[in-house]
Amino acid sequence: MKFRVRHTTIFAYAEPVDLACHMVRLLPRVLPYQRVISSAIIADPIAGRQSDGVDHFGNCVSWLFLDLPHPSFSVTLDAEVDVSFPHPPDPASTPPWEEVATARNGGPQQWQAAEFTFPSPMVSNDREVAAYVALSFPPRRPILAGLNDLLDRIRRDFKFQPGVTTIATPVGRVLAQRAGVCQDFSHLMISGLRSLGLPARYVSGYIRTVPPPGMTRRRGADQSHAWVGCWLGPRHGWVDVDPTNNLIVQDEHVVLGWGRDYGDVSPVRGVILGGGRHTLDVSVDLLPA
Amino acid sequence: MLPTGIDEMVDGQGGLRPHWRQLLSAFSGLGEGGLAEQARRLDVAFDNEGVTGILPGSGKQSWRCDPLPLPIMANEFAALAAGLAQRAELLEAVLQDLYSDQSLLADGILPPAVVYANEAFLRPCHMQGQGRPGRRFLDFYAADLVRGPDGAWRVLADRTSGAAGIAYARENRRVLAQVIPEAFGGMQVRELRPFFEIWQTALQRMGQERAYTGRFQKTQRQDQYQQQSPGQFQTQYQGAYPTGSGAPPAPIGPGIALLTPGTGSLHWFEHMMLSRELSCALVEGGDLTVRGGAVFLKTLKGLQPVDVLLRRMDAHMLDPLELDAGSLIGVPGLMDAARSGTVRISNDPGSGAMEAPALAAWLPALAMRLLGEPLKIASVPTLWLGETQAQEMVWRSPERWLIREAANGRTPAIEPARLTTEARRALLDDIVREPWRYAATTALAPSVAPCAGPNGLVPRPVVLRIYLVFDGQSWQAMEGGLARVMDDDEKLCGALPGEGLSKDVWVLHDERASIVGPPSMPVMPVAIRRTTGDLPSRVADNLFWLGRYVERLEGSARLVRATIARLSRGAVVPREMVELEALSRSLAQADLIPSEAVTVAAGGSVLSEALLASLREAGRDSGSIAHLVSSVAHLTELVRDRLTGDMYGAFTNSLRQIRADSRRVNHSLDAVSHVMVEVLRFCASVAGLAAENMVRGGGWMFLELGRRMERAQAISSQVGFALEHPPARVEPALRLVLELCDSLITYRTRYLTVLQPAPVLDLVLADDGNPRGLAFQLTAIGHLLDQIAGRGDSLLSGVAAALLDETQAMVTRVAEAADQSVAASELPKILHELSAGIGALSDRVTRHYFALLPVAQTLGMGEEALSFRGAA
Repeated sequence: MKFRVRHTTIFAYAEPVDLACHMVRLLPRVLPYQRVISSAIIADPIAGRQSDGVDHFGNCVSWLFLDLPHPSFSVTLDAEVDVSFPHPPDPASTPPWEEVATARNGGPQQWQAAEFTFPSPMVSNDREVAAYVALSFPPRRPILAGLNDLLDRIRRDFKFQPGVTTIATPVGRVLAQRAGVCQDFSHLMISGLRSLGLPARYVSGYIRTVPPPGMTRRRGADQSHAWVGCWLGPRHGWVDVDPTNNLIVQDEHVVLGWGRDYGDVSPVRGVILGGGRHTLDVSVDLLPA
Repeated sequence: MLPTGIDEMVDGQGGLRPHWRQLLSAFSGLGEGGLAEQARRLDVAFDNEGVTGILPGSGKQSWRCDPLPLPIMANEFAALAAGLAQRAELLEAVLQDLYSDQSLLADGILPPAVVYANEAFLRPCHMQGQGRPGRRFLDFYAADLVRGPDGAWRVLADRTSGAAGIAYARENRRVLAQVIPEAFGGMQVRELRPFFEIWQTALQRMGQERAYTGRFQKTQRQDQYQQQSPGQFQTQYQGAYPTGSGAPPAPIGPGIALLTPGTGSLHWFEHMMLSRELSCALVEGGDLTVRGGAVFLKTLKGLQPVDVLLRRMDAHMLDPLELDAGSLIGVPGLMDAARSGTVRISNDPGSGAMEAPALAAWLPALAMRLLGEPLKIASVPTLWLGETQAQEMVWRSPERWLIREAANGRTPAIEPARLTTEARRALLDDIVREPWRYAATTALAPSVAPCAGPNGLVPRPVVLRIYLVFDGQSWQAMEGGLARVMDDDEKLCGALPGEGLSKDVWVLHDERASIVGPPSMPVMPVAIRRTTGDLPSRVADNLFWLGRYVERLEGSARLVRATIARLSRGAVVPREMVELEALSRSLAQADLIPSEAVTVAAGGSVLSEALLASLREAGRDSGSIAHLVSSVAHLTELVRDRLTGDMYGAFTNSLRQIRADSRRVNHSLDAVSHVMVEVLRFCASVAGLAAENMVRGGGWMFLELGRRMERAQAISSQVGFALEHPPARVEPALRLVLELCDSLITYRTRYLTVLQPAPVLDLVLADDGNPRGLAFQLTAIGHLLDQIAGRGDSLLSGVAAALLDETQAMVTRVAEAADQSVAASELPKILHELSAGIGALSDRVTRHYFALLPVAQTLGMGEEALSFRGAA
């Protein structure tokens, strides 16, 4: 499935910003199941210096440095991507979750997955969350069966409600209030899985907006999306699941990159000098191409 | 409680070890009660040196030095140094691997937890495809060692990030040699200084590598900044390089700076000492800026390139863009600059990962794999509790182990043997839940060494820290070290505290010294410089305000003293009422008393109360004078690295005394008066020391400028208040003016006792030979501004000249008036305007020279940024 992605972030400042640097993770990464036909970052004003690199996790990252006063800053990703996630395995064929939970010990086949079993700055271990997630993993249940059960429960128990959380909201609070948005559900699920010793990573990207019947697509109403990568053991590798929409990622998602939590892959992060109060405007379009 | 260790002083048979015998005989010559007396003298010396800070809340003595050193024979030390050099090279090799292809993890040599659950493993330092050739992580290294019951030294902790304490070691030696020189008698003690020479040379070399590769591009970029439109930054940081575009850069030495978190840091003193010892600039994050991928120091004369940063700051705080987003002390873009090779950060920000205590469990295997040889010096036996057998071993005999965080060498160890049953169960729970988070180290009893006690020698446990630096080819150890004496309840293994008792470490040898000097290495000759421009803007700013505050303190003390002199005479006569009214208005104007207290009602009792309150030190409600004193103390600390040791000591000792005496003032104005005398003496000594001890460079000029500005403003405002009276009462007003300007004697010698407006005002306002007069201040301000600006820029000094003209014209008008008294009574308005004009000039100086940078904000990571909206 081919998509055209346009993701614009605009900061408007009350006073001119004299000096700014931004670190953006906006270029979709190339994957066996994701072909990047074209991708470009457009900054306005144009950065005085730009450097690009590939981070620890293999994500594309760019640094934009602006050293002339500017009243606003916008950065846009314009990309064309062809995605075809592999079909997920038959849940019954996946190993019992306990076997996957040995990843933490490392070794030739598991050492890279092991990184995603430890708490990270934004995803701490939480006893309540651990207990909530553990209910889906009785002894010897195949891991993907457990994950499917967990996805069902999150969809049933939690309300999608923008504005009730921030990036600093701890997973325990999300569980207590049973509400949040995709980043919260992802962090919560990751925290619980790691408490069981299962590798889980935070995936940043976009989801196609499915228009309601008879209505036109809501332009610009969308935001960055996030979901969870789960490791099913050396044979099956990583499978992405979307707790916000209760589905296994197939053909509606475009991957930007992944990390331990939001902090590793925040799409636009920056430090500015001056500027006073600022407003932020984000718009995402993901259209079949 | 740890079991008692072996005694450093005695051998296996209970006899004195030979080098101790020599040492003790030197100390026995100190006489009856000598050792305790030496200990006291050392304490005083450390206090005077200001090893203790004087910032509010840090009244505690930070470091103390025991008079008895810890002697180590040269051959024993050489073996330790060789072992540690190997260990440093091993840790370097481990870092090289972990920040490139991580084969140690892929091959299962190291468990993932030691790296991935290690907060000091910095992912921004592990960029794929950016393995720079010749990248080096460790340039300096320290290890904490203990000597166990079997007599062998073992490594308790590796210090690869900050390796603090080295300046205390240097200071111990210096003070000891100064206070008890006779103790060194006859012994060949190796010197510490060569180590710093080697370190300095190593930094120079790094800088030259950096400067040759990166400087040319940097210079071109710099030119580019100069040519850009004159925006705000261009005017602030104009022209670090006078070179024309296209011309090769002038050969100047590399820019080397020590990066400190600032005066709030526990080890601020050390950073200051170290920057002096290594002859490099001492900078804070706010002094640096990244432009075009290169790092620059913001100085009065523009941006100066920085090639090497000696990092003395927690790596997480270095760059809010890529590391801790909440860091206010970092430099945005620094990591990018380091990756692109324009600046070398030493040690590399990622190097702290090697402080993980659990790593010790694998070092023997790592040494075989990476170096092909066995480890020369063992660690204290350590287990990683991520392994089940290890946990079982620990729980079989918990009293034999110390529990530590597997990946964090900064947190102190827990001794299970000391825990209550309940606490031990809680710890067990934690370990069962997250076993990979913990390591266990054998509870080895450190050896004990004799320390000076009130009644003779007391054996106390010691931990030895040894420092090494990489000279480009090999690791060199400082021949000495820092021995820390453990408190009874102190936990082993934590970070170096900000206080404690230490011992100098003497490396002794029998034969005559082969003088170890730095390897000869061509260092570019430093061009003779006498400019003022390389002063960081922040330092100039602080000196300017120190000058202002000291002067404000002095002026305040004069006002208070003059007021008390009148209040304490008992019945107030009408003439004094006039003076008191003027004084109280001046006091209120200077914010020394609240405006409600501007009254002479009730015999001045309200005023008296207000004056007493001004000395009170009570947190936020502290009185105005007390507040000034603490501002001066604070600023003194901020510019401490610009003051000589004598100056700093003189300042802080007087300030401490003033504070102590202020606290003792209860209800007596006499006591207040006494404190004011002390304040005046302090201010006079600041002026004297500055005049006699400071080079007439940028630092002195800003201190002086601040002082002159403040005095000029105070004179014009106080004379203004004094003259605010009907012409008939001009005489008491004039007397007061002379008193406040300390010009009574001069006036009397010139005019005897006749008080007339024109001569008085001429002396205090127009006579540029009177250092207490206004004209003198304005003339000095003009000269200073000319010197600071350099040739051709007289914009600001022109303002000062105009103010001087106005002043002199004003006095001429009074002298030529038909009735001088009437003319004088019309001056207050002009004088207050003059005062405002001086204030405006001060603001312009501030804006022009000091980096009034707007506040930095983080986007996308702070709580303000965005509430998650997400897609459905």
